[in-house]
Amino acid sequence: MSAGVEDRLRGALGAENVKTAPEDLSVYSFDAYSEGKLPTAVVIPCDTRQVSAIVKIAREFEEPIIARGAGTGLCGGAVSVEGGGIIVSFARMHRLLELDAANRRAHVQPGLVNLQLSTHVAGAKLFYAPDPASQRSSTIGGNIATNAGGPHCLSYGTTVNHVLGLEIVDERGDVFTTDVDDAGYDVTAALVGSEGTLGIVTSAWVRLLRLPEATRVWLAAFSDIESASETVSAIIGAGILPTALEMMDSVIVSAVEQAFHAGYPTDAAAVLLIENAGFEDEMDGCEAAMQTIATQHGALSWRSARTQAERDALLAGRKGAVGAIGRIAPNYYTQDVTVPRSALPKALRAVEAAARENDLVVGNVFHAGDGNLHPLLVYDKRDRRQVGAVLATGDAILRAAIDLGGTISGEHGIGYEKRDAMTRVYGTEDLAAMARVRDVFDPQRTRNPEKIFPSGTRCIELSVPA
Amino acid sequence: MTPQTAERAAPKSVEELCALLARCDREGTRVAVCGGETLRGMGFPPTGNELLVQTAALKGIVAYGPADLTVAVRGGTTLKTLASRLKRERQFLPLDAPKPGHATVGGTLAAGWLGPRRHRYGRPRDLLIGSTIVLADGTVARAGGMVVKNVAGYDMSRFYVGSFGTLGVLVQANFKTLPMPGAARAFLAPLPEGTRTRALAQLRALAVEPSVALWIDGFEKEISGDAGAEGRVFVLLEHTEALLERATRDLRSALGRAGVPETQIVDARARDMFDAILDAYVSTVADRSITYRIATMPDRLESCAIEARDVVRRFALDAGVIADVMNGDVIVRASRSDTRDLSLKLQVLDDALHQVEPRARVIAGDHPVRPALRVWGADPPAIERMRALKSAFDPHATLNPGRFISGI
Repeated sequence: MSAGVEDRLRGALGAENVKTAPEDLSVYSFDAYSEGKLPTAVVIPCDTRQVSAIVKIAREFEEPIIARGAGTGLCGGAVSVEGGGIIVSFARMHRLLELDAANRRAHVQPGLVNLQLSTHVAGAKLFYAPDPASQRSSTIGGNIATNAGGPHCLSYGTTVNHVLGLEIVDERGDVFTTDVDDAGYDVTAALVGSEGTLGIVTSAWVRLLRLPEATRVWLAAFSDIESASETVSAIIGAGILPTALEMMDSVIVSAVEQAFHAGYPTDAAAVLLIENAGFEDEMDGCEAAMQTIATQHGALSWRSARTQAERDALLAGRKGAVGAIGRIAPNYYTQDVTVPRSALPKALRAVEAAARENDLVVGNVFHAGDGNLHPLLVYDKRDRRQVGAVLATGDAILRAAIDLGGTISGEHGIGYEKRDAMTRVYGTEDLAAMARVRDVFDPQRTRNPEKIFPSGTRCIELSVPA
Repeated sequence: MTPQTAERAAPKSVEELCALLARCDREGTRVAVCGGETLRGMGFPPTGNELLVQTAALKGIVAYGPADLTVAVRGGTTLKTLASRLKRERQFLPLDAPKPGHATVGGTLAAGWLGPRRHRYGRPRDLLIGSTIVLADGTVARAGGMVVKNVAGYDMSRFYVGSFGTLGVLVQANFKTLPMPGAARAFLAPLPEGTRTRALAQLRALAVEPSVALWIDGFEKEISGDAGAEGRVFVLLEHTEALLERATRDLRSALGRAGVPETQIVDARARDMFDAILDAYVSTVADRSITYRIATMPDRLESCAIEARDVVRRFALDAGVIADVMNGDVIVRASRSDTRDLSLKLQVLDDALHQVEPRARVIAGDHPVRPALRVWGADPPAIERMRALKSAFDPHATLNPGRFISGI
């Protein structure tokens, strides 16, 4: 049977665009969170027509379809869980199809790398706002699947706010389009963040924003993480919404300093990185208000990045923070939860307690302004005790977030990792409503199966590529 | 149009609503859902055989954390009630719907209302972070929560926005609120002959973007102030005090470059004037008017607005136009108070406006001929999936039957 699928796929795409050798497949069996099993094939289509052909062939051979961007996901969303299935890579569908600068929008293929989109449109003085930390490698298609966030979401919103319309290949291989200005149900809103379970995005119209006239970056250092998080709550509570409001604790700060020499104070227990994009006229007032709040909450120091180079260094440190953690331990696990912003201090205490109880080192680097925590649990996967401790701590953090009125994923997604935790935030009827949507678009459950919806047991191994 | 004969029910609790819907669904009683009835010119009218379910009693603020900038509110709460509460904390929620004293949160979301400040603060659906909906069979489904970033499962809350009560009844909406801008200033400038094109281009190009920039032609009764030979522009600036000064200077010189001499500042009445304009979006002329919303692209805005206006005039009807420079919307109203033959013209007008833009949809005009018009515009490409979605959520077509697109 499977030889038949391969031949048909090769016929449709050309042999070079269909991978079936185990050593090729294994590359696609990881994301940044986990290792899945080997798919039947990995296919690399060049256009919508080929995607449609793939879906039709897969349907005939009853193979599930797993759409995959750059594989930077953090929840096992783009791997084959049970083994088998066809992974669709968008590595060849990576073009900016049209830039409509007059209307500040762009038509892009799903394989276009997030940062490249902003680079392509910078000449028109525009940019694409969602900026996940993975933006140098993650793709627009993957970002759409997970409704990706990033530091700038504090003021610009997540990916869904920036998607104007989609081209979708459905479970029969038919193509349809959505547009947020169309009459009828907001199918675009349902599809963004559906992690490839409702259809395959083959192109998207996205909203672009004007490049800001002025950008400033400030850094405040604190002697404890609580004062820093209380400062965040106070800034938000005072009605100030900067473009990004990011926090790092001492574990992260020292790792970043070792890796990038970003200029972070290594003697502080917590560092707040604040970015504001807008107009020069309002920057001084904004800075004064935030500095006052930070000082009131015991800030040790307040620094303003004066040059472009200084700003870039501070921001690059934040972007590279997760990678820098590799200097501390061979492996790490990133948790992703959101709590109401005023609950940040309590949430951080809970994270600290959970890590201590399980004898783990935890680093915190997160989107404080959104209440979106990313505790990084560092460990060595060769040590079974540590692996167990990571799972237990990760779970305790989920529980704490839920108890504080938060949720189990702020921006990474549910994927395979958190599917069983869905029942902890949603009741049967809540999940049934989602399933009604799934029934319409994927009645056979062949679009990215084993993701989002709870059931089954944990069977893929927690690991991280070196 | 609200049929006088319709039987009404106003459940006092979510439980009561659940029981009522479950019974209707079981017994085959069709239900029409209504909030403040401020947007009753939208969609196809109820047939009169439905039970009219009013959400007005399901009101009140459920939870408000000013420091979190989040609020949970019941569906029947009026926009004004919510706005007053938020204002005390210097926060706001820019849903920008007409008649906020009557419009309900649930109704505004269900109707998919889109206001002029969305380019800056987001669409109503993008401010929504959670919801509770009562489905046709009386079950309650929650989605999202009280956090501003949440990707746990499908974004059902956003999906329900604009579904016109055909999937369920929104009984609670959770929003992220916004801090009120430090200062606001409104401008109304009459446009002399030959200035419109340049004025609109200048507004679109402003570096410090206004919250609202509208070209208004007609609507003299609804919106006070002088109009020039080419109508007038309304601009609302909302910024910090520091930036407002620069924004004001920039705006004045931009309009000056376009040849617009007089700019009337309506500082103190900025808010009232904006409210009057929002009301004008759906204001009617007895039963002798009809208003369409045409979504276009900003670079096509002016040509689309002029084309739509000229179509209306070709039928010897009075045209009122509000063109939204920042979002690319055209609101066009056709009216004639001194004639009885409007119904005869409306169907032909409907065809002509859909020639201008197939997605033109009716937003106001409680006219008897409405059932014969394409009130939702052309069917979207995903229509078959939408029918399937309706069947999945409301298999017996209990909720708002026939009032939405293409017979849904």
